[in-house]
Amino acid sequence: MIRKNPFVYYGQKLLIFILSVLLLSVVVFYVSRLAPGDPLVSYYGDRVEKMSVEERRWAEDKLGLNDPIHVQYVRWVENALEGNFGISYKYKMDVLEVIGGRLANTMILGGVGFVLIFVLALGLGIFCAWHEDNWLDRVICKVGTITSCIPEFWLSLVLILIFAVNLRWLPSSGAYSVGNKDDILDRVVHLILPMTVTVVNHLWYYAYMIRNKLLEEVRTEYVLLAKSKGLSKKNILFKHCLRNIIPSYLSIMAISVPHILGGTYIVETVFSYPGIGTLSYESARYQDYNLLMILCILSGIVVILCNMIAQVINERIDPRMRENEIAETSEVTNVG
Amino acid sequence: MTNLLEVKNLSVSFHTAQGELQAVRDVSFSLRPGEVLAIVGESGCGKSVLCKAIMKLLSREAYIKGGSILVEGVDITNYGEREMERLRGKLFSMVFQDPMTSLNPTISIGKQIAEAVQIHHPKMTKSEVYDKVIELMKLVGIEEPEERYRLYPYHFSGGMRQRSVMAIALASNPRMLFADEPTTALDVTIQAQILDLLREIQKKLNTATILVTHDLGVVARVADRVAVMYAGKIVEIGTAREIFYDARHPYTWGLMRSLPAYAKEDQELYTIPGMPPTLVDPPRGDAFACRNEYALDIDYEEMPPMFKVSDTHYAATWLLHERAPEIKSPVEGMKLSVAGRNVSMAGRNVSGTEKIASIEVDTAKYERAESEEKSPVMSETAGALEVESAEPSASHDDILLDVQHLTHQFKLSKSAVVRAVDDVSFQIRKGEIFGLVGESGSGKSTVARCVMNVYRPQGGRILFNGIDVCDRKQFKENQKLLQTARQIIFQNSTSSLNQRMKIADIVTEPLEIHHMKTARGTLRNEAEFQLHYVGMDKSYLDKYPSELSGGMRQRVAIARALSMEPELLVADEPIASLDVSIQAQIINLLKHCNLEHGCSILFIAHDLSVVRYLCDRIGVMYRGKLVEVAPTKELFENPRHPYTKRLLSAIPVPDPELERSRVISEFDSAQVGQNGQDESGGSGQVELRLAGEPMSDVNGRMVEVCPGHLVMKGGHE
Repeated sequence: MIRKNPFVYYGQKLLIFILSVLLLSVVVFYVSRLAPGDPLVSYYGDRVEKMSVEERRWAEDKLGLNDPIHVQYVRWVENALEGNFGISYKYKMDVLEVIGGRLANTMILGGVGFVLIFVLALGLGIFCAWHEDNWLDRVICKVGTITSCIPEFWLSLVLILIFAVNLRWLPSSGAYSVGNKDDILDRVVHLILPMTVTVVNHLWYYAYMIRNKLLEEVRTEYVLLAKSKGLSKKNILFKHCLRNIIPSYLSIMAISVPHILGGTYIVETVFSYPGIGTLSYESARYQDYNLLMILCILSGIVVILCNMIAQVINERIDPRMRENEIAETSEVTNVG
Repeated sequence: MTNLLEVKNLSVSFHTAQGELQAVRDVSFSLRPGEVLAIVGESGCGKSVLCKAIMKLLSREAYIKGGSILVEGVDITNYGEREMERLRGKLFSMVFQDPMTSLNPTISIGKQIAEAVQIHHPKMTKSEVYDKVIELMKLVGIEEPEERYRLYPYHFSGGMRQRSVMAIALASNPRMLFADEPTTALDVTIQAQILDLLREIQKKLNTATILVTHDLGVVARVADRVAVMYAGKIVEIGTAREIFYDARHPYTWGLMRSLPAYAKEDQELYTIPGMPPTLVDPPRGDAFACRNEYALDIDYEEMPPMFKVSDTHYAATWLLHERAPEIKSPVEGMKLSVAGRNVSMAGRNVSGTEKIASIEVDTAKYERAESEEKSPVMSETAGALEVESAEPSASHDDILLDVQHLTHQFKLSKSAVVRAVDDVSFQIRKGEIFGLVGESGSGKSTVARCVMNVYRPQGGRILFNGIDVCDRKQFKENQKLLQTARQIIFQNSTSSLNQRMKIADIVTEPLEIHHMKTARGTLRNEAEFQLHYVGMDKSYLDKYPSELSGGMRQRVAIARALSMEPELLVADEPIASLDVSIQAQIINLLKHCNLEHGCSILFIAHDLSVVRYLCDRIGVMYRGKLVEVAPTKELFENPRHPYTKRLLSAIPVPDPELERSRVISEFDSAQVGQNGQDESGGSGQVELRLAGEPMSDVNGRMVEVCPGHLVMKGGHE
């Protein structure tokens, strides 16, 4: 790779980012309008059925649904650039307001879940690598594989059945009990089940990766050298091996943010947790176009950003990459 | 003197899917303080396993089955990991084969050495540790250690990395050093430096050393005693002199005879027939019996005990039994043919005494080679015909490959360019084997790849049968011819064969690609024929490359190339990663192909002794330039370029007397105008050369000193 000016480097990234988001918005805009269903239903509810043809036409004109799709799209982009993303048909409010509170809920569930997964996976992976192939490691590996095979919705339902319906220890749905909006403890209690499902579902995938990467590293020759100079197992694992797998772990975790986020969407829906996930589900179902657009674009931005972060980590963190001095064989061409 | 290390009847086995693999079987030996013991043998005979077993560095599948390891009388056989951690580094440490992988790539060299220092001196202050690291780096010959402290392994060349590994190994001043093939992965010239360093340090610190190697030349240079291992057992052990001049075991004879240095001209290299036995189910009797031309009936029945030859010399062969027939060692009377020196093995007497044997040196030849430029033959030879490039000395239709002023650069960044190949010209005649020699990074492989159209050269022309292969139009017109008539064999047969394809499919794939008619009916028959040709039977057809040994895989690669009946075979270091005895087999095979198929071979190697036997003409490359081209005999007898001389003098000779007395000609880089940055210098693994910078070192013109012998003459005259 040829060394680049950081200004150019990040400038290019920004350009790619903007283009990706634009492309995403086009696709979402068109596809959402192709889906069957009646957007007026979400705006007027049951009254739609009693509407006359004229009334319907008037309503559609009011919402701008009769123009050709590309005209609608251009109008949407123009408004969006001014910060106006339209109103939600269902909530009759500015979409940003609708999202506001729910975004925080999702951030708590997804964000805390992500951090938990990140830390626990690291710990569990190291633990298993340390106890490679003895009974502890084997049991954890088996259990881990099983848990990561269980679908999220099924696990959610079973946990609800056990802890909410039968034992009545934990609430089954929502982010807080009615009237207790500001009670933090109450919110935490509501988070336990969805959080458990999110973490359990993803944890083993990353822990297993850490374990295997560590063991792969332990088998390299520099570990033999480290051993032969008298370094203890602990130091070898933590000072040498861990250090070498952290960059790739970081970049993989960055890529997996959307993955984990996608998981929380399902969990939110099952637990009726008022977050972005439930909202997306509703908006897609009821043709709430403006809301759907903003949600898709928000998710898209997260995905694209995380991928870019992963890329930057990959390119920058390794000392060999950092200096970019030695080119890979640049030119391999074949005549003909 | 008491023994520092004593290994008694040690057996090490591995759990494998096939059952118990007996890697080391009933091995006993001892090591005195300050002594160098070399362990020699083919790969897979348990040399490395033995060393790692002593240090308890083996993987968890391995276990010590029996015997004991005593260190100064203390039994450490049953020591656990904790206790071993305390011993490692202090009592013994290890240098590994591949310096590219034995350092942690993400930690700076200085820190990795410092870590080794701190382990056994936890109370040292930071500055004390730093001073010690600098001292160690100086000890192993790393210049400007203060600046190099912060550099990472990838900044270092192979030789420098191996020095760093040695610094780490020596950090706590261990009593014993295990060196596991420390020079195998290095260039010849650097190999000699590392060996000398090893010997020097070993003397200075009085460290007992166990040197594991398959190269008898290396052994001759540094070892006090030699142990020969075969199939997990030590079959012969004795002082270096005893082993080299008075070997008794047929396996030792075989190893010596397969060295190209002993080869007589126009005669096949000796190879030990067959393969080492599998150690999952070792044969009854002597494991070597089935490969031994001198095997007696009893060899198949009963394992031979160690017979005593002298107080220090033991060998496990029934030939030493009093009732055995007397057999004259085939090694005796063999002539060592080493650059400029002809030494006869005959007439040596080593009857137990320490007396230095008389060496018959063909003085006339010796002087002629050594007296370099003073020789009047040179510049005055018929008015030293000055030629712009290598002028074809053969008629035109004779020439198969004509490389003219080939230039190829690799771009590193906007300002830095590496000239991998710089104005290289040579010709290969039909049916000729042309050797291209030089240290790693000299551009040999780049030439090969340009010839094969893998890289598109930036300058010059490559004519194959008169077709310019770099010209798109001419290439298109002759595409099929060019793609079938040129074939390549790579160094690393593990990665150049698809692991997911069966051998039969690998061999015939090119036929399918080009929809070629097979001479032998079906593709399978064709594959069978080609395999048979390279010495493999049809049971291999349905195997996968991973089931084959390195030598076998290289045979498959050759079979694949031959299935196209090429006119030109490009062999890019095909034997560099193989054992000595296997090397000989592959060389014989290539020679055979050349004779039978009449195909020309471009043979690339860094080992001159191999090239000598195989090639008709040799080109020496140095830093992207071709510095000398000559017929093989001429080049070895009369090398002209200082770099060629250095290469020749660096070939290890399997003769302890000669090898030790020999001083490796210092290739003073200043002599050719460079600032000596290749080994000790700081610019790192890839040498950066700026695009516009004049190539002061090898910026000469080719001069024909006598017919067919061209030398680059630069500013150093």
